[in-house]
Amino acid sequence: MVPLWVFLMVSAALFCIGVFGVLARRNGVAVLMSVELMLNAALMNIVAFWRYNNPTEVNGLAFAAFVFVVAAAEAAVGLAIIISVYRNRHSIIPEEADTLKG
Amino acid sequence: MGEFNVWTSLPAVAPEIGLTILAAVVLLLDAYLPKEKNRARNIAFVSAVSMAVLALTPFIWAPAPNTSELFWGGMVRHDALGQLFDVMILLAGAITVMIAVDDSGVGRRGEFHLIVIIVTLGGCILSSSADLVMIFVALETVSIPLYVLAAFRREDNKSSESGLKYFLFGSFASAILLYGFSFLYGLTGSTQLTAIAAGLNSEIVSGNLVAVLAALLMVIVGFGFKISAVPFHFWTPDVYEGAPTPVTAFVSVASKAGSFAVFMRFLIEAFGLPAVSADATSTLVVIDGQTIQTFWVNLLTVFSILSMTVGNVLALRQKNFKRLLAYSSIAQAGYTLMGLAALQAQSAIGQDIAMASITFYMFMYTFTNLVIFAGIILFVEATGRENIADFAGLQRRSPWLALAMTIGLLSLAGIPPAAGFFGKLFLFQAAVEANLVGLAMIGVLNAIVALYYYLIIIKIMYVDQGIDEDKPLAMPRSYAWVLGITSVVIIILGVIPTPIFDLAQQGAAAVRLAMGS
Amino acid sequence: MDILNNWAFVGIFAVMAPVFPALPIVIAWLLRPHKPNVLKSQTYECGVETVGDTWVQFRVQYYIYGLIFLVFDVEMVLLFPWAVAYNRLDLFAFAAGFLFIFLLADGLIYAWRKDVLAWK
Repeated sequence: MVPLWVFLMVSAALFCIGVFGVLARRNGVAVLMSVELMLNAALMNIVAFWRYNNPTEVNGLAFAAFVFVVAAAEAAVGLAIIISVYRNRHSIIPEEADTLKG
Repeated sequence: MGEFNVWTSLPAVAPEIGLTILAAVVLLLDAYLPKEKNRARNIAFVSAVSMAVLALTPFIWAPAPNTSELFWGGMVRHDALGQLFDVMILLAGAITVMIAVDDSGVGRRGEFHLIVIIVTLGGCILSSSADLVMIFVALETVSIPLYVLAAFRREDNKSSESGLKYFLFGSFASAILLYGFSFLYGLTGSTQLTAIAAGLNSEIVSGNLVAVLAALLMVIVGFGFKISAVPFHFWTPDVYEGAPTPVTAFVSVASKAGSFAVFMRFLIEAFGLPAVSADATSTLVVIDGQTIQTFWVNLLTVFSILSMTVGNVLALRQKNFKRLLAYSSIAQAGYTLMGLAALQAQSAIGQDIAMASITFYMFMYTFTNLVIFAGIILFVEATGRENIADFAGLQRRSPWLALAMTIGLLSLAGIPPAAGFFGKLFLFQAAVEANLVGLAMIGVLNAIVALYYYLIIIKIMYVDQGIDEDKPLAMPRSYAWVLGITSVVIIILGVIPTPIFDLAQQGAAAVRLAMGS
Repeated sequence: MDILNNWAFVGIFAVMAPVFPALPIVIAWLLRPHKPNVLKSQTYECGVETVGDTWVQFRVQYYIYGLIFLVFDVEMVLLFPWAVAYNRLDLFAFAAGFLFIFLLADGLIYAWRKDVLAWK
């Protein structure tokens, strides 16, 4: 079987790509996608740990299911907010949204 | 835990069940009530009264005294601390609905009140969570609706922008937090906090000190965002200024109180407390000879000093009232972090006071912030301006409003007879009990700096000449009730703080005993 | 030796496999006449030409449907274990599942009453 650390490396890579995306991308939708990458990295960790360390218990699977549902809700709300910003300013780049400064 | 029994488990989640039913009812009301003038007002009335009544349920179905039992398969704890946090979050929800009623942008739409109920529900679950799954779901149940509320004025640039910023930073923080959680689960094979502590203390984790510290760091970053502690505070001023004012009020109390409650539980239950005397056992998690508590206590001490100082110094030069309160709330988070740092106390009384002082501070802060925000909403609705200078001569325009806001500001500044005095006193006492005299001194110095900008506002309201001083402000009845009740509560808490503080201390002792130290 | 022979087949296939598809293309390229004109080099030789940029926005209506679908679709993750263990549930777990479905239905009724589901 593939050793556990392979999954952890992939998830760490996903997480780092996500963090980089959040910090480097200027487009709101791209930042949202990067956040989703980070959540999925955590999800992958949880499922991998569950499968390798204690597949007889269901707590890992339950955790993963709830994370999955929460991530979907977050994406839905995030897209709705991005659309409402776009309708106001015709731009979804957070830095250009600069009415608030001080 | 024993055999699972639904009926004995229900009291632990009584307010949550009530809120779920209320949310379903309000949803149907909003869908089916005929369109008429007082529609949203009726919905608001139902929501506010129900939440205020639900604030009694933690007392009716109180936990057995001096216990902190686990229910629902280890998902939630039922104890006096959680009970106090439930009460303050429920009252915050009720008051927010009341002060939003006459706000033109938000309160006249039914779904606003529904979303406030759902945030309140999340906050109540959050304050008694004892499991990683529960903490994450509750934290998001608080956060996701708050993103919606911040962007609630869709046609307003500032509001949707503040929603976008809040969403992007908040979801980033949640993702980091979750990644930390995934490692804690992976290393110990458990999601229940006390089981995680047991797992971390066992052989299987030895050699993984770095992984545990990294996971802990990520969790601290995540919670740091939610409580707006420096250096994770940069979203706060923009969100506070841009969001509709009732939402700002709610963000500053509900999200903060819930996050502090669960942050405290997480640190205590997953990483243990020191032994309270020479012959008592320590529950601290020790990995490879390193005590994990040393790490987070020192980190939080640094964050506490940074938050107090940065918050107060930046607040000094603010002109917008809501921005000033944002920096003030960062500083208040700094004071409260002092209580978390004081959890390293090596005496029973020290640990109890640390937990109780955080609870009491959040309790009084809820009312204090809400009275000030209610005043701002009333003022901005009438005049359309929210700079501090615009409040000049408020005393001549509306003496009762000026008085209520003065009580709130005195409480934030920590001057008796307002409740803030005891709030700060208990926190400083906790720091001294934990031999953190230096930290307490920095706290006192910061309180003196803060005094300046709070007193300036009072001076502006009472002494300065305003441009339209001859125009009195009308006071709608709902605001009169809110301002009156919250001001009276602040004064009562400031004169006789002992009932609440004693209850918090009993709850703290119960948590400490449940940990086995 | 047998092993080598077996691997030799793989080697021969590896060489032959790219050659087979490539060969007809090369032969066709050598033999065919080369006379381009405007009509031939268009993306579609028949059918309706596209109007404007392809990167146009969808109607927001699609988006609302998408969101509602997403939310209800994902909730099924939580109902799935309940349905699988249906025969072995005690009364409380059975009721909890129905409570969950009721709350979902509540949300759907709300969306319906607010005219979100009507195509405008």
